[in-house]
Amino acid sequence: MSALAHPFRPAGANKIDPVLVMLWILLIAVAALWIAPFIFIVFTSLKSNAMVMGTGAFAPPSEADWGNYSRAWARGKFSTTVLNSAIITIIKVPLGLAISAMAAYALSRIQMVGRRIAFLAIVFGTMIPFQVMLAPLFTLVNSLGLINTYVGIILPYLAFGVPYQVFILHGFFRDVPKELSEAALIDGASHFTTFRRIFLPISLPVLAALLILDFVATWNEFAMALVILQDNSKWTLPLGLMSFQSQFSNDYGQLNSAIVMTVLPATIVYLIFQRYFISGLTSGAVKE
Amino acid sequence: MASVDVDKVRKSYGPLEVIHSVSVNIVDGEFVILVGPSGCGKSTLLRMIAGLESITAGDIRIGERIVNHLPPKDRDIAMVFQNYALYPHKTVAENMGFALKLRHASKAEIETRVRRAAEILDLIPYLSRYPRQLSGGQRQRVAMGRAIVRDPKVFLFDEPLSNLDAKLRVQMRAEIKELHQRLKTTTIYVTHDQVEAMTMADRIVVMRDGIVEQAGLPLDLYDQPANLFVAGFIGSPSMNFLKGAIRVNGKPSFVTEDGVTLPLASAPAGADGRPCIYGVRPEHLTLGGDVKVEVSVIEPTGSETQVFAKIGPQKIVGVFRERVSTKPGETLLVTPNVDAVHLFDSATGARLQ
Repeated sequence: MSALAHPFRPAGANKIDPVLVMLWILLIAVAALWIAPFIFIVFTSLKSNAMVMGTGAFAPPSEADWGNYSRAWARGKFSTTVLNSAIITIIKVPLGLAISAMAAYALSRIQMVGRRIAFLAIVFGTMIPFQVMLAPLFTLVNSLGLINTYVGIILPYLAFGVPYQVFILHGFFRDVPKELSEAALIDGASHFTTFRRIFLPISLPVLAALLILDFVATWNEFAMALVILQDNSKWTLPLGLMSFQSQFSNDYGQLNSAIVMTVLPATIVYLIFQRYFISGLTSGAVKE
Repeated sequence: MASVDVDKVRKSYGPLEVIHSVSVNIVDGEFVILVGPSGCGKSTLLRMIAGLESITAGDIRIGERIVNHLPPKDRDIAMVFQNYALYPHKTVAENMGFALKLRHASKAEIETRVRRAAEILDLIPYLSRYPRQLSGGQRQRVAMGRAIVRDPKVFLFDEPLSNLDAKLRVQMRAEIKELHQRLKTTTIYVTHDQVEAMTMADRIVVMRDGIVEQAGLPLDLYDQPANLFVAGFIGSPSMNFLKGAIRVNGKPSFVTEDGVTLPLASAPAGADGRPCIYGVRPEHLTLGGDVKVEVSVIEPTGSETQVFAKIGPQKIVGVFRERVSTKPGETLLVTPNVDAVHLFDSATGARLQ
């Protein structure tokens, strides 16, 4: 009991703090709220159609029906959509980060005319929701003859992804003591060497956080892919999922298996990098 | 090693000129300290020598070369920064060897030179540690190690001890001085701490508002300050300044604005009645004599006693080897050492004698 009581007491206090108790209850409630859909999806993905109809939404499957996964894989053309999503994400995410990091370095560290205006122009990009740009974007990509191509979707993804990454990295690079780049300059480093050997390694936590966010955003992106990738041989996972629902609207087991397979890669990437993600989000919050 | 010549150098930021035609010649192997209050331009001058700031006018020579437009890496200099500027993701050894690595030195050579520098600075046990695992003093030594590994022609130090506590500062002061005596590399060192300047420098350059007020040997600056600013800046506690006029009535003397007469060994010719400022260092006052001062505060430090007092409304400080039993509010008799009295022009602040 004393071990249980510990989280409810402020450090060094004997009495249980009711505010802390309330906070814990709130925390558990919010956590339950967040985890509920995942439990629902995972459980449902393992139920046969009859079991879905016959049991409660959050009841665990009495007998796991793994066949849902193989059937969903085949019917949803996952072999194609996974490949498309993987190609687009694996090219776009590192490329976008590399461009953003270099731009952020240049904008924060290299003295040049018009630096501020260039930065403002890039940051302005974060203010435009891409949904309002979908129609002109389609016209542009179409006129370039890039509809239904990887390049046709990767270029707009880069254009909309780079501004907010530049914004975040610029803030981080600007706070790196200027003596650090001056020391590198005296040591004989060029700007590119300083960027690669000093700035990139020390910004790893931020880069990892951006990588996770960008990976998840790109992997799950739907609207732009829907407009630009019209040929179903070029469909990405979210597009495949959409067709799934209309085609097998009654088969909740298969639909949820498809959802699990869709979100799994993003979850794995998150779990791999989450250590950096947390430190990236809080880096610079306290003086080290 | 090399000499460094700063010749009529100016620096402007837009219309604002912050360095006004400064000239300093530093001979090969010399340890020169640029000292002055915050904003006097000493760090800017050092950064111009390093190549981190451009020069608006004038020339900087390192050795025989004019380096005005050379990038820092081609000037053959090494710099130690106030906040150390160590690469946080590299170990001590990697920090020290980074410059050599960029110059494509062989692994064996890097290791040998890093080891040699680490031996000089007692850093051998820390070579595989990261900067965050070191104390302030150790970090500062790594920063120095990074500089000496390259064997540069000139060392530049920008307030390297300001981030250390008082005790460590005294220790590092001795270490830097010892390092210079051992390596004999030309060194330019910036500080706002006149004690650091006095104790370490072969020569001191006192700066204020972007000009050189006086350059010379530390004790020359102490004994013969060129003007009121240098007189007040060098020495701790600061020199006492009393306003008044010279009176030559047979024997020369100085009379303060409130009519207190102070002794003078001699006066400049034709100076009778000339208004000027009488300067005497706190340590050049002795107990006893005929100058009456009213004690305000007494600060015994054990080895000496500092007495804050007033001559009329003008404040004066005395430092005495003896213990002083006088209470605040009481009168104390003191005598200035006439051979150590300075006179400055009231209008220009320039030294009269």
